[in-house]
Amino acid sequence: MSNIRIGVYVCWCGTNIAKMVDVKQVAEAVGNMDDVVISKDYKYMCSDPGQELIIKDIKEHKLNRVVVSACSPRIHELTFRKALENAGLNAYLFQMANIREQVSWVHVNRKEATKKAIALVRGAINRVRWHEPLEKRRVDVNPATLIIGGGIAGMSAALEIARADKQVILLEKEKELGGQLRFVNRTFPDFIPTSDFIEPMKDDVLHHPRISVLTEANLNELHGYIGNFIGHIQTGAKELKVEFGNIIVASGLKPFNPAPMENYGYGKLPNVITSLELEKMLQTGEIRQTNRKLPEKVAIIHCVGSRSSQYHEFCSSTCCMTALKYSNQVLDMLPNSQVYQLYADMRAMGKGCEELYTATSRKNVMFLMYDQEDGLPYIRKAGPKEDCNLLIEVNEKLSGERIEVPADLVVLMVGMEAHEQAKKLGQTVGISLCGNEFYIEKHPKLDPVATTTDGVYVSGSCQSPKNISDSITQAKAAAARILATINYGSVEVEVTTAHVNEDICCGCQTCVRVCPYGAISYIADDRVSRVNEVLCKGCGTCTTSCPTGAISSRHFTEKQILSQIEGVMLELMEN
Amino acid sequence: MSEQNKPKLKLAVYWGAACGGCCVSVLDVHEKLFDVVAAADLVFWPIALDIKYKDVEAMPDGHIDVTLFNGSVRNSENHHMAKLLRDKTKILVAYGSCSHMGGIPGLGNFSSRKEIFNRVYHDTETTVNPERIEPKEKYSVAEGELSLPEFYNDVRTLDQVVDVDYYLPGCPPQTERLVEVFMAIVTGAELPPTGSVIGALEKSQCDECERKKTDNKLIKEFKRPWEIIDDGETCFLEQGVICMGPATRGGCGYRCINGNAPCKGCYGPPADAPDPGAKMMSAIGTMIDSNDEAEIEKIVDGIVDPAGTFYRYSLPKAIIRRKLTTIKEN
Repeated sequence: MSNIRIGVYVCWCGTNIAKMVDVKQVAEAVGNMDDVVISKDYKYMCSDPGQELIIKDIKEHKLNRVVVSACSPRIHELTFRKALENAGLNAYLFQMANIREQVSWVHVNRKEATKKAIALVRGAINRVRWHEPLEKRRVDVNPATLIIGGGIAGMSAALEIARADKQVILLEKEKELGGQLRFVNRTFPDFIPTSDFIEPMKDDVLHHPRISVLTEANLNELHGYIGNFIGHIQTGAKELKVEFGNIIVASGLKPFNPAPMENYGYGKLPNVITSLELEKMLQTGEIRQTNRKLPEKVAIIHCVGSRSSQYHEFCSSTCCMTALKYSNQVLDMLPNSQVYQLYADMRAMGKGCEELYTATSRKNVMFLMYDQEDGLPYIRKAGPKEDCNLLIEVNEKLSGERIEVPADLVVLMVGMEAHEQAKKLGQTVGISLCGNEFYIEKHPKLDPVATTTDGVYVSGSCQSPKNISDSITQAKAAAARILATINYGSVEVEVTTAHVNEDICCGCQTCVRVCPYGAISYIADDRVSRVNEVLCKGCGTCTTSCPTGAISSRHFTEKQILSQIEGVMLELMEN
Repeated sequence: MSEQNKPKLKLAVYWGAACGGCCVSVLDVHEKLFDVVAAADLVFWPIALDIKYKDVEAMPDGHIDVTLFNGSVRNSENHHMAKLLRDKTKILVAYGSCSHMGGIPGLGNFSSRKEIFNRVYHDTETTVNPERIEPKEKYSVAEGELSLPEFYNDVRTLDQVVDVDYYLPGCPPQTERLVEVFMAIVTGAELPPTGSVIGALEKSQCDECERKKTDNKLIKEFKRPWEIIDDGETCFLEQGVICMGPATRGGCGYRCINGNAPCKGCYGPPADAPDPGAKMMSAIGTMIDSNDEAEIEKIVDGIVDPAGTFYRYSLPKAIIRRKLTTIKEN
């Protein structure tokens, strides 16, 4: 007689599942399967009473396997694993069947949906039989942190960690710290001179005893894993080997280059400048045309390279407010000038931003709207009779007219884009890029600072275009995460890893190259491949590549997967 | 009890759907046959001895100590004899690739019985059969009723019809391995657990193979052996030639590779890879050196006869087992 004792729980999810799936029928249909001791349905399995039900049954009926048929495991797998642990059962002796996202939400025929739910639960039951208990593992954490990028995000994180008396190694590829803010004159919406906080911050970082700043430095290679990284850092002709436990990538952004956009004539027409070039003028305190004359009409064009199917689809998020900031700064310095804002959509979210918009709109600023889909503004040189240098032709959206906007100086609000070295750095530290070349975070909502490589965090505009306060917020969040792991002293690492049965491995090395985490190496002396289980993320690529069957993925063994498929097919096979 | 008085083992060798090569491999023991017959009486061996089925049927159950059953189960006669010999035998050995995994006859599972009959009795270029005669299981003549075994739609492995004690793989098995196994049984050495593969290694061919192997298995174009100038030293896969070696148990002395031909897979998979064809296809998938869908398709199209390459010996035992669409036609 089998010693496997399975408990099956079918969740109604209120009406979410129950309205499309006959949950009672599902529980009945699987109740007589081999090894199933009890099979129940319940209104909300994830609720406290639902979990209590499982815990009570485990104890009363001596269950040693549990199947919950409910929502996606991404939502509640951890909840139920915890319940098993609370009942003294290993968390991995559990399997979830998703009959909500994969059944009730996507089907319209109750009879067919119920049939499918039964098949999925049978699959889960067949699979859980082969589950094995897995033990959680921990590794010690080196308390030093490597921060890549000495901009506002990198410096904020560095100070946060150093102030907790933990070592920081701060890498900056340029000669000096400060990042893009070195080129920004004042903040929005509050017009604080950036130098008021950047300079003291640079000073703090440079003189903090717990921060080693390496300028003109690059990370050449990275080895190791969370808690125990070794970096090869290039500074000048020297290569240093440095050890640390965590990494924050805060490598920043690159401004969009508008030269390829012919309609703006940037680089060809005089007096067409980028927002960064205007910043430079603001820093020197003089806004002048190429011929040194003061401009009387200043036009500011939004969304240059942003929100466009041709260049970057994303919104750079800071340009609208920066453009409003410029309107005010230009009017302050040239009180008699006329400012035109050629905008596509005014995005004024964030503290104080809508207020800035309202205040600016009351000034001598003309807001003209254009539609990116209806042709971009076109700049040409004005004729000698015109009272301006340049004319901007634009299909003004609100009036529906094609108009000409006169300007002496045109400011192109260039968006942010990913750094050209982002891809290479990403490969070195093991983080991926999303479609637009920014770094991808572990979870867009629940974990926006971590990455899929444990111990590597992202902050600032290398993850997506950000303003100063958002960059600092993310940097401090990353610092807090790291301080938490340092404080704990060790971290939990993935247990559903791949492992090599060395009695079978023949040393063909097919697996070595396919591992995206560099976790497999060939041990020439023993003529076998070996998995570094701390680096392994359990993605299974090596397992499928292994022709001998020597590699298997814990919790995703061939037996488990094939049994699950058989379970799903059971009804088909019976007929 | 002296050596001479020790009761002799009763040994049988039988063929199902087989080519005869396995029986010949038994004969290949050459002068060692004397050692064999000194220790064993051959009680049934159709290729060499005139012992009838009815003689076997007359034996008491468990009468035979060891039966080497070679060949797959293609028809009702194979099936009947498999069941009969199972009853009469203490240790039933699936001998050779066909009884182990289906072998070459197993490739018949890519066709239905109907397709096979159409091809063999009607469509081949040399067939003249205007009356469309096909074999019949029963046919009445003046003298009585003639019968032929039923030709099954499926080819099955021995263990798909009866319980098997051991598997001795190979096409055919290396005779030396047979002698080792036989001597182990004769001398009463401790036998491995029932269901084991014997006479082969735990590890796959690559473990023995002396060709140079690196992790640089990147394939831009699949080549057949005659399309490369083999340097005799580099792993076949690294030269673009499909070699089943990584997915195939060692034990043959990597003879094909030693003869500069890639491994075809007759020794079957290592213990943890029940479906060597799927395993090898999966592995090959990771070696294709392209990320462009159209190019990948072109590279894959370069594999001549993928079914016969990856499932040459193992189709009936594989997860896919047979071509599904043909079941209805049966």
